[in-house]
Amino acid sequence: MADAAVHGHGEHGHPGFFTRWFMSTNHKDIGILYLFTAAVVGLISVIFTVYMRMELMEPGVQYMCLEGARFITDPAAECTPNGHLWNVMITYHGVLMMFFVVIPALFGGFGNYFMPLHIGAPDMAFPRMNNLSFWMFVAGVSLGVASLLAPGGDDQAGSGVGWVLYPPLSTNEAGWSMDLAIFAVHVSGASSILGAINMITTFLNMRAPGMTLHKVPLFAWSIFVTAWLILLSLPVLAGAITMLLTDRNFGTTFFQPQGGGDPILYQHILWFFGHPEVYIIIIPGFGIISHVIATFAKKPIFGYLPMVYAMVAIGVLGFVVWAHHMYTVGMSLTQQSYFMLATMVIAVPTGIKVFSWIATMWGGSVEFKTPMLWAFGFLCLFTIGGVTGVVLSQAPVDRVYHDTYYVVAHFHYVMSLGAVFAIFAGTYFWIGKMSGRQYPEWAGKLHFWMMFIGANLTFFPQHFLGRQGMPRRYIDYPEAFAYWNWVSSMGAFLSFASFIFFIGIVFYTLRYGKRVTEANYWNPYADTLEWTLPSPPPEHTFETLPKRSDWDHGHAH
Amino acid sequence: MPYEWLPPDGTERRLRLWPYRSLSARGFVWFVGGTALLISVPLFAVLGTRVLWGLLPFLATAVAGIWWALARSWRDGELTEELTLAPGRMTLVRRAPDGAEQRWEANPYWVAVRLYPTGGPVLSYLTLKGDGREVELGAFLGEAERVALAGEIREALAALR
Repeated sequence: MADAAVHGHGEHGHPGFFTRWFMSTNHKDIGILYLFTAAVVGLISVIFTVYMRMELMEPGVQYMCLEGARFITDPAAECTPNGHLWNVMITYHGVLMMFFVVIPALFGGFGNYFMPLHIGAPDMAFPRMNNLSFWMFVAGVSLGVASLLAPGGDDQAGSGVGWVLYPPLSTNEAGWSMDLAIFAVHVSGASSILGAINMITTFLNMRAPGMTLHKVPLFAWSIFVTAWLILLSLPVLAGAITMLLTDRNFGTTFFQPQGGGDPILYQHILWFFGHPEVYIIIIPGFGIISHVIATFAKKPIFGYLPMVYAMVAIGVLGFVVWAHHMYTVGMSLTQQSYFMLATMVIAVPTGIKVFSWIATMWGGSVEFKTPMLWAFGFLCLFTIGGVTGVVLSQAPVDRVYHDTYYVVAHFHYVMSLGAVFAIFAGTYFWIGKMSGRQYPEWAGKLHFWMMFIGANLTFFPQHFLGRQGMPRRYIDYPEAFAYWNWVSSMGAFLSFASFIFFIGIVFYTLRYGKRVTEANYWNPYADTLEWTLPSPPPEHTFETLPKRSDWDHGHAH
Repeated sequence: MPYEWLPPDGTERRLRLWPYRSLSARGFVWFVGGTALLISVPLFAVLGTRVLWGLLPFLATAVAGIWWALARSWRDGELTEELTLAPGRMTLVRRAPDGAEQRWEANPYWVAVRLYPTGGPVLSYLTLKGDGREVELGAFLGEAERVALAGEIREALAALR
């Protein structure tokens, strides 16, 4: 029998450093681990982009030489363009950002830390599986980096096939770098699927009594929708790349025309995963932005239910529009018309979200603290990316823009400026809660303005380049594109400087930031459950059910 | 309500308690069904090719995985406590998810119902003391529920004595 434990109940000792961070089953600690690992991988991935922008700054090839990669130009020395190195850079920038930075930061990091808190759960449903997910992610990162350094095509290191790994290019790539890259995606995919199963079970089965699906905070909803998209799409990717692996190594011909296979089929299943993937990246951002805007407009979020169902609708529609990435592969007119129409429909739920955020601010008392600046940036730039998305969704227009810098500008506006701004908004919004110390306000604002100007300077001119006809994925370009490429590179350097500054802010905050004493350091409109806990929260939270009055404020968040 | 008084059987009154789970059986069916339906959409694109067979095991594993996880999470919460009140005998049986049973018996006349506002592992910690042993009741309930339950048990005991 459970004998009563009135006195001296189990206050077990504090775990040591190794036990706490390496064997952790605590959702908050694992969330922090995810955030830091994603930041490290993000830095690697961003350094690649800086190198690429250095190369593209001037026409001709100055840095990526066959004679050896350089970091300082040397007009005296000969330089034969090294296309393989360029291809490797774009490939690993894409793979790392898609699989190892944004999903782990938003879904693994903020999702792990705050989703259980928002629903009043003591931890995830399967804490040890959570630990497994994290370390599989680390193993995936290691495999990815190993693949970068392993012998690949063109007798050089790394694979230069693009993050989509299209056959026959990927199946013909020499060396075993490509196989390692496939394993990296496999392991990270398995990690994400385990994480998603964990999140779904937690969200469905561990909500506090009385918290019906229509009362769950929007961030928790966004994590649930994301988890569901991961569960539905990543197995498809796993299947696709497994077939690539057997095509490469065991002589199967799933995607080899000479053996009766069809390379276009790979594109279909890749994009069946790939399109939901971009929503996996952005939807947790929607959740964070909703909380930030409601807090700093000092109003409950406008249209809670439409916001929830817009997220679900975006998720479902994401599965039926995949072929708009491949209008040029020779589909029938009917197929193209369908995919074009379905794609445009996505603008409706997205519009519901954007207008609801604006309506939340309407008549509110808007306060421009750093997280709100990031949310504003997100709102403007994500909308710009959405508008170019509607342009690209038209099959005839896409014939012109396909594989130009217009596409590069479009998807960086929604992902680099959308998802990344959401990550920064979340970081500044919650860093006091997670660390117990607050960032210096001026520094956060300076970071924002540097990044906002830098990122726009980087990507807006790429619309012009795309309209002028500059193709993507090339190491060099004709003289005519020089002007805007120079501007774009300048913007990239400014953004990079802001990222380095951000790393400084984080370390300053963790060591010397002003201590946060109150549970809710913003205002009463930050009214989800994490704001009822001390900052930083104790090791164990909500071991006993939270009081209903703590989370149920009559209006939804 | 994670506790209920079962219909009385003669003079015997029975109370059942269980931890709250937010997913209903109907919700399980909707979620797993919807997932299975949507995950099979890409199969239409590859019908009639061997790629179908390369894809199918992964999709089936994903559906099986979420099914198993939700069922497992339910099973982990299959803890029940059953309190039986009869003249001269009061029994509490606690069944753990692994099937292990713990029992406590006492004479209701001497049983003390105690509610510790603080100091216990949870706020408003509810215990029963009798036969030289103090046992907890409904530590997994919400605080307000334990307070209400304490009153109800006291009433039931008073009626019995």
